[in-house]
Amino acid sequence: MADVLAEGYNVFDTKKSPSGTVKYLESPADVIGLIQSGKLAEHILLVRGGTTTFLAPALSMGAIGVITMSGAPESHLGILSREFQTPCVMTAHLTNSDSRYVVGSTDEAHFVEIARELDGKKVRLDCTDDEVGRVVAD
Amino acid sequence: MTTTLAKPDYDVLNVLALKKMAGAPAIAAVVELSPDDVEERLASLAAGGLAVVAGGAALPTDEAEPRLAATAAEIYAGVRGDDDVLALVEQFEKTNAALLTTMSSWQQVDVGGRKVANDHTDAAYDGKVISRLERLVGRLDGLIAALARHDARFATYATRFATALAGIDDGDHDLVSSPTRDSIHTVWFEFHEDLLRTLGRERAE
Repeated sequence: MADVLAEGYNVFDTKKSPSGTVKYLESPADVIGLIQSGKLAEHILLVRGGTTTFLAPALSMGAIGVITMSGAPESHLGILSREFQTPCVMTAHLTNSDSRYVVGSTDEAHFVEIARELDGKKVRLDCTDDEVGRVVAD
Repeated sequence: MTTTLAKPDYDVLNVLALKKMAGAPAIAAVVELSPDDVEERLASLAAGGLAVVAGGAALPTDEAEPRLAATAAEIYAGVRGDDDVLALVEQFEKTNAALLTTMSSWQQVDVGGRKVANDHTDAAYDGKVISRLERLVGRLDGLIAALARHDARFATYATRFATALAGIDDGDHDLVSSPTRDSIHTVWFEFHEDLLRTLGRERAE
């Protein structure tokens, strides 16, 4: 069994299993920079979450996979990822950490830890389960 | 202190920030300006470091949001103090949650406890979702009208919703949730973001 680095809600079941290097996007400028670099399709995009609305251009320009650290599959981003058929794991947590996202009471360290662990890693998304989406080391 | 924008520039940059990436014609379709005028405004916003124009499309820079927020605080102070608007906004939060659930039920159906993609072969199911959407959109009428009393531009949301619903009635079901068209979901999302900015509020998780 491949090494599962993180798990979260699977936004929709798909046999698509994109792989790429995780890129943490913190701001609209990061998204613009990535699109302009022409390397969008080489990365699995990591963002903080459901309130991250700046990701839309990346999805429309062909992002291959998304991981969020908060938010629900019913959120705006979840709806968009289904429309674009971009595999998406939401509210992912690290499998080697007890830290979990809780609405309204999650401290900064939770997000920092996930970003530090995943950013730059080569991963593959496994979105075949109807509930759990997995981020697997590739 | 962040300087504020003059009105046509606010409208153009606001729509650009709502759409995240757009060309002049798409912005002109929503604001009361010609595509040429929008093009000119975009060039000036880009020169001011608030937008980036590349390959026929513009994107807002990180400086755009604080500038829009500062401007909204000034030009929409009246909206923020309008009790009628604020009461309607409370209702909107509930309606918004229902809209998100309804959109998801358009995209996915529950089969034996498992969510699977809606293949849209069940016209009766789709019909029910569409009528629920129509009712939810209808619940925004009061809020849109109250906002439009402060700034007429909000009335364009009513027109856009009506256009999308008319298209859906004509069988163009992409107008429910397509992110690349002026669908119910697109218009709703932009309205919600615009409302939050107008009121100076953050999006709830």
